[in-house]
Amino acid sequence: MSGVAPPFPSPSPSPAAHTVAVLLVTLNRAFGVLRRRNVPIEGLALHPSGTAGESRLTFVLKADAVTADRVAQQFHKMIGVRSVMVLANDDSTTEAKR
Amino acid sequence: MSEMLSGAEILCRALVDAGVEVIFGYPGGAIMPFYHALPDHPRLRHILVRHEQAAAHAADGYARASGRVGVCVATSGPGATNLVTGLAAAHMDNSPVVAITGQVSRPMIGRDAFQETDIIGITLPITKQNYLVQDVTELAEVVAEAMAVALEGRPGPVLIDVPKDVQNQKIEYGAPRARARGQSRPLTPGASGGLEDGVRKAARLIAGAERPLLMVGHGVILAQAYAEVRALAEKTGIPVITTLLGISAFPDGHPLHLGMPGMHGEVHVNRAIQNADVIIGIGLRFDDRVTGNTASFAPQARIVHIDLDRAEIGKNVPVAVGIVGDARDITRRLVAAVEPRRCERWVEHIHGFVRTRAESYRGDLSPEAILASIYEASHGDCTIVTDVGQHQMWVAKLYPYQRPNTHITSGGLGAMGFAVPAAMGVHLARPNGTVWAISGDGGFQMNMAEMATMVQEGLPVKMAVFNNGYLGMVRQWQQFFHEKRYSCTPIWSPDYVKLAEAYSIPGYRVKEASELAEVVARANAQPGPALVEFMIEQEANVYPMIPPGGSLSEPIEAAPAGAAGD
Repeated sequence: MSGVAPPFPSPSPSPAAHTVAVLLVTLNRAFGVLRRRNVPIEGLALHPSGTAGESRLTFVLKADAVTADRVAQQFHKMIGVRSVMVLANDDSTTEAKR
Repeated sequence: MSEMLSGAEILCRALVDAGVEVIFGYPGGAIMPFYHALPDHPRLRHILVRHEQAAAHAADGYARASGRVGVCVATSGPGATNLVTGLAAAHMDNSPVVAITGQVSRPMIGRDAFQETDIIGITLPITKQNYLVQDVTELAEVVAEAMAVALEGRPGPVLIDVPKDVQNQKIEYGAPRARARGQSRPLTPGASGGLEDGVRKAARLIAGAERPLLMVGHGVILAQAYAEVRALAEKTGIPVITTLLGISAFPDGHPLHLGMPGMHGEVHVNRAIQNADVIIGIGLRFDDRVTGNTASFAPQARIVHIDLDRAEIGKNVPVAVGIVGDARDITRRLVAAVEPRRCERWVEHIHGFVRTRAESYRGDLSPEAILASIYEASHGDCTIVTDVGQHQMWVAKLYPYQRPNTHITSGGLGAMGFAVPAAMGVHLARPNGTVWAISGDGGFQMNMAEMATMVQEGLPVKMAVFNNGYLGMVRQWQQFFHEKRYSCTPIWSPDYVKLAEAYSIPGYRVKEASELAEVVARANAQPGPALVEFMIEQEANVYPMIPPGGSLSEPIEAAPAGAAGD
């Protein structure tokens, strides 16, 4: 078996930046996914959402829209995640489809 | 009416309320209050294993065979960490398991106390969800939620970590309130336009296809979509491929059944994939052992992917049509949407790819002959649980499965040592059926201590040990890819017949094919557990083989030049 596994998901040659915003109540599991899925993160911020016990995790990844959506789907199915938004660099915002 | 109950009593009661009947476990310091309360709840049958890993594998086997949640229990620290491999196996293969671990008392958490491990942190990536119960008032609701989470949507393992002082904490106990769940997000959307649209597109692709294939995975077994998949195949004439975990989702002898794809898939199956123009994948994740190099996987095919988990669609291979939903529901819709058709020329074409191989085995004791004897002895009515390695592939390729969900194996994780404990769980889920645990001499030695569990708990598992004196699959890789340097793969075995006898289990050894029928029948007829050791060819290989990372188009069909062997 050869070499190192490619990162998940594989970034395209010249990826744009996408921002993923996750509203959630369980942080540990979210950080675990970022690490385990080898998500190419460039920046990360955590804020209280305004609702008790709930946080907004925002991270920027250098990846195309398809990759950003795949990352969003990994969050979307997590228990304790209330919503997942993918924000493209052109400021368009989409809620990750179920 | 309310009463004062301890956390441990609440834990037992919550398990009973959830319909749990069997628990696989091992006591220890931090879980002792639970074990103190357990005898007051005779509905909970406790199986005392010899190692916690076996408890997790057994709970997994129970879950896969029953479709219900399998429960395992361990103490803190080493007890909890010993569960990890079993939980990882359940996670990779989507098996609904709930693990309950003791934890050191709350004031001691974080102080590196005796037998303290951060099992929540350790199991985060291999559980669907896990809970550290901080207060006894949460306990009953957490158990109910964990049981639901393990089973719903795409199933998986859930761990509940209960500090010892929470188990001892007493509260006035009434009926548990419904817990405000963080989320109960169905992975299946309703009958949305997207879904209908997907089914229509898939039906159109099928109608226009010249070389279509159905690829069927574990999702079909989890959704019990057997009749629907068969109806789809028979209405369209599309040949069916079953992945390792999809085996027994479609009857083996069916004229449309092709076999298993991937690394050890038959040549005609992989050729069919490489020549297909449409592939309908149902409940599989296009794992790398199935696809080989994804860049050259099914180069002509447009793929329709039906999966419960949207995150799987397009994860490993590009998909033309993705349909998110329950395999049974979607397949039923697809059956209704497709026009009847036949694929006779294509099926004939695929049959033209079929390769026959001539291999020789010592004493004619071929894997095929051994498996045929098990099939005959059990009249084709048993559950086969396999371990990991060469024997696993032989069983996957050669055993003629006719009944749904009768093939159970550790697929995604590939955990050696799985078969023997998982078979104990299968027996408890199917107490009136026969279960054979088939292992190699390597994997069997990993969990053979569970023979004691079988005797103490009365679990009549039939054990088959394929003994070739090697860690055979690793040896095969060494032969093909590592200059035949058999580094650390020869493995010594004890005398399994005497070992079985030491456990008061009847043991048999088969050296020649001529002995098979009689010995296997005798073992199969034992009222309790039995062990049969098969002295197989030492350097037999599993053919064909796609080299790791290679293309499905380039199988190894014989030992490479310079590499001696069979």
